[in-house]
Amino acid sequence: MSKGIRTEKLNIGYKSDLITGICMKVIPGSIVTLIGPNGCGKTTLLKTLTGELKDRGGLVYLGDDDRSWLKASEIAKRVSLVMTYRVRGELMTCREVVETGRYPYTGMLGILSEEDRRKVKEAMEWTGTKELSDRLFDEISDGQKQRVLLARAICQEPEILVLDEVTSYLDIRHKADILWKIRKLAKERNTAVLMSVHELEIARNISDTVIALGEGKVQRIGTAQEVFEESFIRKLYHIEGTDTEILGQMPWDETAAAGMETEEIAKETAEENEGFTHSSKFHGRGKAAAIMIQGTMSNVGKSVIAAGLCRIFSDDGYKVAPFKSQNMALNSYITEEGLEMGRAQVMQAECARIRPCAAMNPILLKPTKDTKSQVIVGGKPVGNMSAAEYYSHKKEFTEDILSAYDSLAESADIIVIEGAGSPVEMNLKKDDIVNMSLAEMVDAPVLLAGDIDRGGVFAQILGTLDLLEPDERSRIGGVIVNKFRGDAKLFEDGIRILEDRGGVRVIGVVPYMNIKLDDEDSLSERLGQSVAEDFDIAVIKLPRLSNFTDFNVFEQLERVSVRYVSEPSGLEDPDMIIIPGSKNTIADLKHIKENGLAGAVLEKASSGTCVFGICGGFQMLGRLIEDPDGTECGGAEEGLGLLPVETVLEKEKVRTNITCSISGATGILCGMENTEVSGYEIHMGRTRPCTELTEFTSGGTGYCRGNVYGTYIHGFFDRRDIFVPVVEKIAVSRGKTINVAEATDQAEYKDRQYDLLAKCLRENLDMDRIYEIMGLGNDKR
Amino acid sequence: MMTGKKRYILYFVLAGALAAALVWLNILLGSSDVKAFEILGMMTGKNPDAMHESIIFNIRLPRTVAAFLLGGALALSGYMLQTFFANPIVGPFVLGISSGAKLAVALAMIFFLSRGMSIGLNMMVLSAFAGAVAAMLFVLAISMKVRNMSILVVCGIMTGYICSAVTDLVVTFADDSNIVNLHNWSMGSLSGINWDELKVMAVIITASLLLTVFISKPMSAYRMGEAYARSVGVNIVMLRVMLIIISSLLAACVTAFAGPVAFVGIAVPHLVRMCIGTDEAHVMIPASFLGGSAVTLFCDLIARSLFAPVEVSISSVTAVFLVPVIIYLMITRNSRQREDRS
Repeated sequence: MSKGIRTEKLNIGYKSDLITGICMKVIPGSIVTLIGPNGCGKTTLLKTLTGELKDRGGLVYLGDDDRSWLKASEIAKRVSLVMTYRVRGELMTCREVVETGRYPYTGMLGILSEEDRRKVKEAMEWTGTKELSDRLFDEISDGQKQRVLLARAICQEPEILVLDEVTSYLDIRHKADILWKIRKLAKERNTAVLMSVHELEIARNISDTVIALGEGKVQRIGTAQEVFEESFIRKLYHIEGTDTEILGQMPWDETAAAGMETEEIAKETAEENEGFTHSSKFHGRGKAAAIMIQGTMSNVGKSVIAAGLCRIFSDDGYKVAPFKSQNMALNSYITEEGLEMGRAQVMQAECARIRPCAAMNPILLKPTKDTKSQVIVGGKPVGNMSAAEYYSHKKEFTEDILSAYDSLAESADIIVIEGAGSPVEMNLKKDDIVNMSLAEMVDAPVLLAGDIDRGGVFAQILGTLDLLEPDERSRIGGVIVNKFRGDAKLFEDGIRILEDRGGVRVIGVVPYMNIKLDDEDSLSERLGQSVAEDFDIAVIKLPRLSNFTDFNVFEQLERVSVRYVSEPSGLEDPDMIIIPGSKNTIADLKHIKENGLAGAVLEKASSGTCVFGICGGFQMLGRLIEDPDGTECGGAEEGLGLLPVETVLEKEKVRTNITCSISGATGILCGMENTEVSGYEIHMGRTRPCTELTEFTSGGTGYCRGNVYGTYIHGFFDRRDIFVPVVEKIAVSRGKTINVAEATDQAEYKDRQYDLLAKCLRENLDMDRIYEIMGLGNDKR
Repeated sequence: MMTGKKRYILYFVLAGALAAALVWLNILLGSSDVKAFEILGMMTGKNPDAMHESIIFNIRLPRTVAAFLLGGALALSGYMLQTFFANPIVGPFVLGISSGAKLAVALAMIFFLSRGMSIGLNMMVLSAFAGAVAAMLFVLAISMKVRNMSILVVCGIMTGYICSAVTDLVVTFADDSNIVNLHNWSMGSLSGINWDELKVMAVIITASLLLTVFISKPMSAYRMGEAYARSVGVNIVMLRVMLIIISSLLAACVTAFAGPVAFVGIAVPHLVRMCIGTDEAHVMIPASFLGGSAVTLFCDLIARSLFAPVEVSISSVTAVFLVPVIIYLMITRNSRQREDRS
């Protein structure tokens, strides 16, 4: 943002604090009004912003500059005011009064140039005070005075106009007159207008944003609709029980809103401002626009909605980048540069049709032991930390987050930001760097998503809105009700209730989508799968299992089940057993040996069932895993002994993308030699054969013997050329037939899913509104 | 009603002509009868009478120039004070500033004379300035406490009385030989001003005028009131300090050379404002100065001609002519006078 006025945690007052912690902003072209009972500090705030009063802490920015560093003459070129003071101006003609507005632009002796005179004349013509030029200021009416003072403020050519109660003492005609002028000024000259008003109807009709002050703090910031809620206003003005009938219509009255005046205003502004694009309240950091998806809780579908938006924006011709400041997941992805990041942002990047990079997820936390997490910053591990240690480094992390964001914003048009969990975890809020405080740092508007499938969607959304601070609440540009099952028409009442009580637009009710995606939220469903189908794949559910996505590819096939098995009894009779990767191989190996799963797997293997080990699972299939340097937990552990290989864990982590081929295949998979394989490796340790052994994947990345196959390559199954033959060969050996006609490469399959997702969101979200919220009103599309 | 430039020009022409005529009358009239053609002859280099030439060049001309300069200085000082306090009926005399200067000069005089030294011109001006600033600061301290002009003016007048009383006291106990001199001075008189004094006067007043011109821009903006002035970038503190220093310096200068001269500073700026119909600093600064000069020349002429060869104190004359004006102002302005500070 380059113009306008903004405060950060501003404290104001005369001899003691009257209002503390004011965070507000007026952007060019918008009108912000201050309301509140007498003595609440409206005028004090205006006086503090104009510099008449000293602030009592906090910062005031004019454009991008801290006001305290600006010279008085510089401030005067940016801010002008019309206050309630009696103007002395004895023997001053109206023209002279207006001319004082040119003061900052004239030279040492204050001689007006031709240009100055022209601007004075223009300002007077514009405010309709030209015929008053030679009249004495003392002798004109109050209404004329206000217009002359407005002319004075205008010819000062300010970026910011501050008005204190300009309509008080004026009759209706003069009120209307001056308000029209102010509105025109904001829209035509793109001036940021901040004004205090007593008349709530005026505030309601003229404001882009209303700030309600009371009881020593900012009570609420939002659109007129959001602020003028009867119960809130009654509380603000302490008129809870008062009968207000004598005052006529109140601003919350329905009829007041639908009255002639508002319609006229809307019509006239539309006419006056042809080609004027609605400007958003939030502009995003840097030159990219931004939108943030926050949820009322975990698993409401934030990452899926973010992904869908990425695809929609990309379809609309924008360059899009996803962003999530901090991810907590075991499920990491490795970029081409060999850096780790969360899978959800990878999926979103795929939706956005760009290469995933670690900047999209600057901080990744991978839980290792019970209380600690491995902290990965910018894709590289920086160590294991407890929560307390982590938060002590919060400041550095904040810098990492912002620099990552800036690097994305440089080349993107839109940044789609995903929040984490709930933005109102009150006890943790002070350390937040992933929800509202991130939104504030990058100046992003927020969409709040609730999950109706799990119930309590009203409590989720209204409760969250209620717990937000006023300035945070003002960031919420809309609400999304996600995972709705059935006919959305039935929810119309619900929408009305949410909008009335929450004061926020519901911009969409998104149906429960049956779309297969790699995201954290779909994980729980996958893990819950328990029914074996025609072709049954059992994945050993290790306690510290990592990289779940290795097996998603099988979901393409009908009548094929992928079950995660954690008990020996659950193993049943699968066609194929997969031991997946683990964050802590030795500990997980011990675990499955103890609970009997290892035994059950061995039993199946001995009866000829096909057993696959991927990465850590591959290591477990061997005879021995040694950890001489204590990389995981030290010592050595005997493996399952299905493959005659030994693994030594090393400090250095192997991280690389790989394309190779199957160099030899034994057992059922015989005949798959020379098929191309691509994927990535991420492991600490080297595995060597103890005896002569068939190399399964080339380059020593995997070995096989009989129906037991091990490889380090994640994503091994992703290609159609791999997973279809594997399933077919095994099915044939077990006398089953599987329909593989629909199967494609996983990448292509995913792309189709993304398009389905985008289509579904486009049908159910008010995309125009979302563009508007981001400040991309009538651009491009 | 005539407005704008025409009116200013008319004022300057008339006031200039009046001042020129008064200058001529001041030189022409006096207890010794010097004829006009004689004076003209002197100007053109003819030299008819040594005594008459001395009277004109060493007595009448310096006095006339002094009346011109000091009168202008007084009016300007009053204008600046009125700007400072937002145009109430105030001046250096009613606010006690002149009296403060007078007291300081009297004390300095007694101090030096009692030691047998004569007081230097610079010392005199300096002590007057110190006294003026001290009185001004006292008045300011009151104005911060009470935001009411009437009380402020009453306090200023009281301060003036205290200073005058102390001055009288000091005079009473002074050596006899100096009493007459001191007494005359403390009544306010333009008599006995010589060319050396005029030089100092001219330097101080010219310097003040220049300074005034440089703050005329913020002075103009300040007319709208403090908040608006600040909003267009006026450095309020700086402006106020300048106003106080310059007005004190001017008032001190007058007091040092002519003793307290009352009512010129308070009445003239208001009269001029009424005549030209604006309060624009660029116009008001030269206009007040010229107006002050003309009024003082006139009053001094009366003071020394009325009961010639006996002189009346100039303040008595200014009081007779200007107090009615002030009373008139108070009555007419009262109807539209509001509380001065909102």
